[in-house]
Amino acid sequence: MRRRLLSTAPIVGIACFLALWELLVRVTHPKPFVLRAPSNVLRVLARDPGYWWHQSVVTAREAAIGFALALLVALAIGAPLAASRFAERATLPVLVLVQVTPFVAYAPSVVIWIGFGWKPIIFLTSIVCVPLLTFGVVGGLRSVDPSALEVFRSVAARPVETWWRLRLPSALPAIFTSARGGVGLALIVAFLGEQFALVADGLGVVGKKAVAFNNGDQLWGAVFCMAALGTVGLLAIGAGERFLLRWHASQRDLVRYRPTP
Amino acid sequence: MAGVRWLETGDRVSSHDVATPDIVVSGVHKSFGHREVLRPVSFTVDAGEIVTLLGPSGCGKTTLLRIVAGLEPADGGEVCVHGDSPARARRSKSIGFVPQAPALLPWRTVRENAVLLRQLNRSAGTVLSGSTAPDPVELLEQVGLGGFLDAHPHELSGGMQQRVALVRAFALGPRVLLMDEPFAALDELTRTDMRHLLAGLCESSRVSVVFVTHSLPEAVFLSDRVVVLSGRPGRVVASVEVALGRPRAPELEDDPAFFAVETTLRHALRDGAGR
Repeated sequence: MRRRLLSTAPIVGIACFLALWELLVRVTHPKPFVLRAPSNVLRVLARDPGYWWHQSVVTAREAAIGFALALLVALAIGAPLAASRFAERATLPVLVLVQVTPFVAYAPSVVIWIGFGWKPIIFLTSIVCVPLLTFGVVGGLRSVDPSALEVFRSVAARPVETWWRLRLPSALPAIFTSARGGVGLALIVAFLGEQFALVADGLGVVGKKAVAFNNGDQLWGAVFCMAALGTVGLLAIGAGERFLLRWHASQRDLVRYRPTP
Repeated sequence: MAGVRWLETGDRVSSHDVATPDIVVSGVHKSFGHREVLRPVSFTVDAGEIVTLLGPSGCGKTTLLRIVAGLEPADGGEVCVHGDSPARARRSKSIGFVPQAPALLPWRTVRENAVLLRQLNRSAGTVLSGSTAPDPVELLEQVGLGGFLDAHPHELSGGMQQRVALVRAFALGPRVLLMDEPFAALDELTRTDMRHLLAGLCESSRVSVVFVTHSLPEAVFLSDRVVVLSGRPGRVVASVEVALGRPRAPELEDDPAFFAVETTLRHALRDGAGR
């Protein structure tokens, strides 16, 4: 009973938020481009669901591919960094530089270098996500229980075994935490990247056109679709977490074990 | 300990029948930087013998055990584990190591943790050579965890976790068991239960044991022989035979003979600390 009540809490929260928003708009009557009622936005989306679905899928695909590539790169460079303090010290400043430099500053150069189209968008998404995910991978790989490592050493476990059976599972909680941040980041970069790369479709393109033509319907439709994409992304990460981290403290109230009598 | 499965209690090989010791440590010394941790230390463990390294905190007994396990290099001296160097003994999976913390893998169930060491480094092959390797599930039942086979470590108490760690080492069917204060983090009552349980496990296998502790009752109850180390830098101050017979029952701890050995050890410890 208590579990069921708890599971409805997020829906209640969002419903209250939307209701307050609706009320605010109906009472204060702001300009439609500044703020509009959620009911109004939903009506815009419902008028042409196929169009909005298509635009969302384009942006989601760019963000997902970029994010996946970044994760692969992070795992590939995170492993040697976790193994060697020197490599970590040498690489960390570079990663931090990449992280703190706003990608919109160098995005035009990337577009000219790689060419117009979806490729620079994916490149930008990856490069922006790599530092964050790498920090997660390195931190995670470092958080291995030293006693467990000794137990593995005591039977001369092969490095591959230590990696798969100990290091990677130990690193998963930290990797998931950084992945949660990475989802939002990837979507932002995909959205803005589309505005540099002269592509024809995507929510970023819709948003840019809406601004150019002063079209509040289109702008807020894009905003709602982006919010939906972010939610779906986080839910996907959450599902992966619940599946892979059943054993972890963060997931503990989900598994209750009762000894067999 | 009731329920012995793969060897009858009392069947245990007497240490004095065997010519070559299972573990030979001769003149091992070690320093960390300028800090001398171990003065040249020598002792032996006969086949099937349970030897405790007893000493005050910081006397280097853990370091000594890690050197025997091949987890730490010695600065000098020689270690022989079943006729091999520690490194080779590790590679042939002859060593069952029990660390101070249970170090169970939280994503594995009790049963999966118990078989972990068997699954690693399978190419070593010497393990599971027929009858010597006991059944992990039977061992878990023997230590009272039969109802928790599919539980995860976080669902167990500290004492239960440490029992899984013991089973994990025993299930390997190793030639030698090296234990580093495995009960140090447990409360006194649990500790007492654990040493009774461990004595049972050891008595029903032919394994040679080096057990590190600073607890007198633990040393007396478990050991055939106690090697007493001095405070840092550690060196051997006494080697005390514990002639209390086997199998050992919990009631032994109320026996005057038990106190007599404990007193001997306490004096040896005090003498070691005095110099």
